[in-house]
Amino acid sequence: MPAFAIDYEEDIKALLKQRCVSCHGALKQKAGLRLDAGSLIHKGGNDGPILEKIILRVSSRDEEERMPPEGSPLTPEEIAALDEWISNGASFSDDEVVPGSPESHWSFQPVKRPKIPEVKDKAWIENPIDHFVLAKLEEKGWSPAGKAEPRVLLRRAYFDLIGLPPSIEEQDAFLQNPDLTRVIDGLLTRAGYGERWARHWLDAVRYADTNGYERDATKPFVWSYRDYVIDSLNSDKPYDRFIIEQLAGDELPDRSSETMIATAFLRLGPWDDEPADPATDRYDQLDDILNATSQAMLGLTLACARCHDHKFEPLLQKDYYAMVAVFNPLHRPRAGRTELAIPAGTLKEVAALETRDKAINHLKEVFEQKYLQSGKSKLPRDVVTAFLESKTKEQKDLSKKNRKQLDEELAAAMPQDEINQLRQNRPDLPRAYTWQEKSNAPPKTHLLIRGAPGRHGDEVGPAVPVILNSHQFPAPSDYSSNRRLGLANWIVSRENPLTARVIVNRVWMHHFGHGLVRTPTDFGIMGETPTHPELLDWLAHWFVHDANWSLKKLHRLILQSNTWQMASNLENRAYLQSDSENRLLWGQNYRRLEVEAIRDSILAVSGKLNREMHGPHTYPSIPPEALEGHSDPEAIWKPLDEKSASRRTIYAFVKRSLMLPMLEILDVCDTTQPSPGRRVTTVPTQALNLFNSEFSNRQARHFAARLKREAGPNPVDQIRLTYRLALCREPTNDELDSIGNFLETESLEELCRVIFNLNEFVYSG
Amino acid sequence: MSRFRPNLTPCNRTRREFLGNLGGGFAGLALADLLHAESGTPHFAPKATRAVFLFMNGGPSHVDTFDPKPELDRCDGKSYSGDAEVGSNGRPIGNLMKSPFAFKNHGRSGLPISELFPHIAKHADDLCVIRSLHSDTAAHASGCLQMNTGAISIGKPALGSWINYGLGSANRNMPGFVVMTDPRGGPIGSASNWSSGFMPASHQGTLFRSTGSPLLDLATPKGTSDQTQRRGLDLLRDLNTKHLATHPEMDELAARIESYELAYRMQSEATDVVDLDRIDAKTKSMYGMDNPLTADFGRKCLITRQLLERGVRYVQLYSGGGHIEETWDGHTNCITNHKLHAGETDQAIGALMTDLKRSGLWDETLLIWGGEFGRTPTSEGVGKFGRDHNWQGYSMWLAGGGVKGGQAIGATDEIGFKAVEDRHHVSDLHATILHLMGLDHERLTFYHQGLDQRLTGVTEERHVIREVFA
Repeated sequence: MPAFAIDYEEDIKALLKQRCVSCHGALKQKAGLRLDAGSLIHKGGNDGPILEKIILRVSSRDEEERMPPEGSPLTPEEIAALDEWISNGASFSDDEVVPGSPESHWSFQPVKRPKIPEVKDKAWIENPIDHFVLAKLEEKGWSPAGKAEPRVLLRRAYFDLIGLPPSIEEQDAFLQNPDLTRVIDGLLTRAGYGERWARHWLDAVRYADTNGYERDATKPFVWSYRDYVIDSLNSDKPYDRFIIEQLAGDELPDRSSETMIATAFLRLGPWDDEPADPATDRYDQLDDILNATSQAMLGLTLACARCHDHKFEPLLQKDYYAMVAVFNPLHRPRAGRTELAIPAGTLKEVAALETRDKAINHLKEVFEQKYLQSGKSKLPRDVVTAFLESKTKEQKDLSKKNRKQLDEELAAAMPQDEINQLRQNRPDLPRAYTWQEKSNAPPKTHLLIRGAPGRHGDEVGPAVPVILNSHQFPAPSDYSSNRRLGLANWIVSRENPLTARVIVNRVWMHHFGHGLVRTPTDFGIMGETPTHPELLDWLAHWFVHDANWSLKKLHRLILQSNTWQMASNLENRAYLQSDSENRLLWGQNYRRLEVEAIRDSILAVSGKLNREMHGPHTYPSIPPEALEGHSDPEAIWKPLDEKSASRRTIYAFVKRSLMLPMLEILDVCDTTQPSPGRRVTTVPTQALNLFNSEFSNRQARHFAARLKREAGPNPVDQIRLTYRLALCREPTNDELDSIGNFLETESLEELCRVIFNLNEFVYSG
Repeated sequence: MSRFRPNLTPCNRTRREFLGNLGGGFAGLALADLLHAESGTPHFAPKATRAVFLFMNGGPSHVDTFDPKPELDRCDGKSYSGDAEVGSNGRPIGNLMKSPFAFKNHGRSGLPISELFPHIAKHADDLCVIRSLHSDTAAHASGCLQMNTGAISIGKPALGSWINYGLGSANRNMPGFVVMTDPRGGPIGSASNWSSGFMPASHQGTLFRSTGSPLLDLATPKGTSDQTQRRGLDLLRDLNTKHLATHPEMDELAARIESYELAYRMQSEATDVVDLDRIDAKTKSMYGMDNPLTADFGRKCLITRQLLERGVRYVQLYSGGGHIEETWDGHTNCITNHKLHAGETDQAIGALMTDLKRSGLWDETLLIWGGEFGRTPTSEGVGKFGRDHNWQGYSMWLAGGGVKGGQAIGATDEIGFKAVEDRHHVSDLHATILHLMGLDHERLTFYHQGLDQRLTGVTEERHVIREVFA
């Protein structure tokens, strides 16, 4: 006998969910049987009641007969528990909810604007957000936390919007005139806004600067995508347009170098340049694009349907391959193992560039012939003849061998005026690291049985998942299949129930620490249900219809709400007891800053932050010890150039096999998959990094020098300035005493190091 | 709490996942987790509570080490006509090449081991050689990844991460998953091999150096005295404690305060581990530390013993680093290559085994020896002495807690190309290792991207190799 009674919810339901419900549940009802609710278990299937038969079926020695058919049999312990539950009457709670049909899942329903709920405490309301939040609190008889102090609000707004602390002047200005709206509007026009929020988007789309695996090569010009995201956010590009450009910037009628660079989104994933199996590798890469699109933009785990229908979501294997068909016309431009970036511009610009390059090549060829015939070449006579005749295999081999030598001679001898003129008339285009469609005739796409590249099932065309509304794909253009454009237009159509909810939720998450849906990349049945479903829908509807997909308008609305402006001291014990995760939003959340914001803040207060924007990545210093684990420690990282390394962290090189130790230790996201958001772990190696690392100590020295410069020699002045710069407040007398004592024996540099490590320094909210 | 999955929470996720996923405002758990060494929740009584993976980076040749092939001796010099895939990346294919190394039967069990390993051979009765392993890739990068994470793609958690996730930490003053690489460089793919993938960063492998300061940023900064360091930490705690009064509900903040004290203790504890001054000369000599050839790996094996004593769950040692002949990747001359790398490691591994038995840790410790794949029975190019990659059949061995020694499981074909008898995929090996550590590979799951992910994957059926168990 087990030591404690069997609990249906904890023991039986969990077991059934894990092993049985994918075939006998709301999604599929094999043999007409559902095991996802007590009442349905009692009801049985096509062959009548099954309660009596369960034990026989799960313990059968006949593999044909035994359930479940896949995976290992249930353990004797599990069978004993089932047996005990059944023999005690298979009881379950009367109010157990029977899961509804998948079609009725909340996130698949159209977004309608819900009525704004009435509240009692009308004085608390600043905008519609507050109605929804307060109504829920009042339902429980709770009241929201008070408003945060002005200096807290100021710091919160700065970190939320630009990821940097306010300067002394900005603090003074706000304390004199605490007009938060003006601050918000000001911050939204700063370049730092794009740099802060681009990082959030890069997390969602698996951004890194290299491809991973053995050579982990740098992706040429991939940084121009990072700049594209920064600029798009800064110019408040409507989110629908932002999505279309990334998926199908090359297929747009108004295609430009900018929209071409946007499509690097397709090529951000990791890939192996020495794949174990090239056919599988091709599908892995398509899977990567599909997965990034479906999780980041739609909040769907469609990639789980690669080998079979999704086990827990109403997503079919057919849906998966219909999406593969959208991306299947794409090819990666490359030369052997070398990745290529392609010229980015309008069709006309690209064609003109090709014409220019042909003309240049023609000039070069003509000159080469003349040069070889002139006898000026230093190459042996037979080699020159080989170049001129190029008939036999020997001659061709000889030419190949001496090509480099000849090119060097030609480069030195050839007059460049004409070529320079051609280049001047038609300058180079920016380059985009992306995939390409070679023609407008897409290849056939087949469903792959069990996901195996060799096992073709039915042919499939481009389509969107059948559980969602259907969609007509456009006809091909002269040069492209237009399938991605079709998909993009569906994703941003007003009828799409997911897109606006997913992005509104992500924005909310970065302003509160959690989304209204706490699984931001999974809005399916397995994802969490929204804490405030009506608010989510209201925001999604408002975002599309009233704000015309403007993210800046959304930030403004959220930050102007009293909900966002609540204090984050969640001290109410009774509330904590019943809602320890603050799901009802009875206060703001006090949140640890992301590692980028921590590092950028250290640089900002030390006075060394280099605000230069854009361009190729920078290399913050990595101690030689950290390079030891690498197969090529000498060549892996560039030496420190402090000025360039002091730019914002978003510009730091993201190498998949060698993360900057500070980033890695302080919970940067996994770069191989769309990230649902940063984790917060607290481990001693983080303390070692922030307290002992070369970076912290160097910046502490800079910070101390700045304090001496700006506050003069008086320790009290120095401490006050330290606090205002680092924490946006004056120190208390108690703190002044502690620090004063410390400074009697220790240096200002040591104090600065301590300041960077304060909880208050690395938290906000 | 469910008795079938560890620490089930109301929304069906494990408690650890909760801790990893949630940020601010989640009171009550973080501090407890940090302050107390986690007791861990194995699925059944573990045979071993810690493991050492002796990773022979580059791929040691099984026919030259633990899989003698008399038929290969007879076919020496003949061309190969079987159906195994030969040659990786278009490398030249030569003829069948017998092993130049003599095999002898060792111990009471008579387990055959080649002359490359005279010291390990003394423990023959403890070795369980699996001769029928196979994996999915001929390349080093994906091969190392698969041996370490089960998958040939990057982004998955390593075996050491799964073990720490499953069993919890036994000593919060030390990282639970330690990696020591070869002085010539790390394995191809570097940190992807000890990444925690989609798990929290706290489960990732920590690079540990065998000389100087063992952990990154462990040492007090140059120019700062120990007294100043301590005073700085005291001031930090003082100021942080004052600040905690404004957010008394947040255990996360209290945990962060405590993490600095743990870091301070780690400074001395981790430094002690690499301080071998107190170890007697005889022991050092047993590990080969008095011989330049064996000194580096010997030092690491001795440090490994100290790490195990301090409760580190999983230690991974790499023999070979960088490229080709600096690793076990004997493309040019497998004979000199293996003489070198076996010569560097054999004595230290033998010493570690002896030492663990002496100190009583043997029964709780699982040793795993092998590389990302084996090597071909053919030479690479006619008349050459190199061997190419072979992922279709190769050997590894297990020893220690819960392992039945003195036996060989499975077999490759007559000449050693393909695993033919009791074939076992790498994931079977992983399932077996987890089992020895009290973890069921089908129940040790981590919810990510809509799936309960496992070390052994979710698409193929994988099996524990029961013959391994004592």
